[in-house]
Amino acid sequence: MTTVAKLIDTTLCIGCKACEVACQEWNDQEFTLGTFDGTYQTMPDLAPNFWNLIKFNEFERDGQLSWLMSKYQCMHCADPGCLRACPAPGAIVQLKNGIVDFVHDNCIGCGYCITGCPFDVPRLSPVSKKVYKCSLCSDRTSVGMTPACIKTCPTSCLTFGARDELLRKAEIRAETLRADGDADAGIYNPEGVGGTNVIYVLREASAPQKYGLPKDPTIPWTLSLWKGPVKWLGSLVLAGGILGTFFHYIRFGPREYKDESDRPENPAV
Amino acid sequence: MKATDQKIPRFDVAERVAHWLAALSFLYTALTGLALWSHKLYWLAYVFGGGAVVRGLHPWGGVIFVAALGMMFRRWAKQMRLDAEDREWLRQSHKYAVHDEEGLPDAGRFNAGQKMLFWLQSCSAAVLLVSGVVLWFPETMPRVLRLAAVLIHPLAAIASIGGIIVHIYMGTAAVPEAFRGMIQGWVRPGWAASHHPKWYREVKARSGKH
Repeated sequence: MTTVAKLIDTTLCIGCKACEVACQEWNDQEFTLGTFDGTYQTMPDLAPNFWNLIKFNEFERDGQLSWLMSKYQCMHCADPGCLRACPAPGAIVQLKNGIVDFVHDNCIGCGYCITGCPFDVPRLSPVSKKVYKCSLCSDRTSVGMTPACIKTCPTSCLTFGARDELLRKAEIRAETLRADGDADAGIYNPEGVGGTNVIYVLREASAPQKYGLPKDPTIPWTLSLWKGPVKWLGSLVLAGGILGTFFHYIRFGPREYKDESDRPENPAV
Repeated sequence: MKATDQKIPRFDVAERVAHWLAALSFLYTALTGLALWSHKLYWLAYVFGGGAVVRGLHPWGGVIFVAALGMMFRRWAKQMRLDAEDREWLRQSHKYAVHDEEGLPDAGRFNAGQKMLFWLQSCSAAVLLVSGVVLWFPETMPRVLRLAAVLIHPLAAIASIGGIIVHIYMGTAAVPEAFRGMIQGWVRPGWAASHHPKWYREVKARSGKH
């Protein structure tokens, strides 16, 4: 099965937020009024019922306010930190086409995925006690449809397709931008998480932080240590303890005592 | 009355209640913790009502355990201090393990092994409590703390569970009649004289005064 991907060409985003609306509509989510912080952004952060946020990253260029647009959502990593951290089998699944999906029937709401995610994407609902994020419209893509946000994007900022093809397309686009004078234009597809199935074309690729994207996201080392050596150590202690005490009993038996308490030198209490 | 028929009080009601409150809550918390620790042990979660129930109640099990352990700590911390004889006992504990007690210092009310278990559980419980609270409320805790906690919590649990496996073995199969001391609260004089000679002498001396 081909790996699918979403390409976000941030240079083409006009901030219309149609993708936000499409996401809410398709996923049947009620919009809850959040914080208004005086910017053009719908709200400051993602929410359990708001999986796709267009960020209006403000900066100054030649003394004027300017925006670096970006789309904040699940990155669908090839090596997902959320999946590694999840203790409930089947609550987070990685589909063969690369989509990382949450299966809410199996989610126990522990929030380990929030800790494992290098992009700070999953959000715990205080109501359902389950965690939510973008599914890359796995219900649509499984029947050959395009994700809702991409379907609705009016500028072709968002495209959906085979990952290899989109990477080539992104490379060509970055090259074009560089030829047009944006020397720093490039692709965001971080290797620390094995690459992502959400790929960005950035005008300032050497500073993804300006877009609200981490520079070198990786699987946290404490997580790798916990799921690797510590697990082995624990199994060893558990199995060693149970088998060790059992065979100690087989070899040495119980600690019997001779009742000498009523001998003359040990008079009764 | 023959001395063998006598009952020597070993643990009073308060001690037994605290111990078994700690034991039951530990059992629940450890088993549900193991369920969330490895996918291979996730079947334990179904035994205890499913993953969501386990996620909800595991922290409370831990809170009860720490509270019960706190009761034991208040009661026993002084008696659990290791003296020079205890250290000597620990140096020779390999002999104790193979039932060769020649030259082993006489144990008091608690032998040095029991004292070590007490301090192991006290320390690991403190670590488990702090890291557990961090994991309990993932959405309000800073990520760096959560990343530390996912590593520290299982490490402390491994130490704690490892100690408890030995403790349960010692308290049931390995040392017959020890269990009755913690359930019914009394032991036979011969048992006391054999396993805790120094304590037995103290008990005798005390009762002799009356």
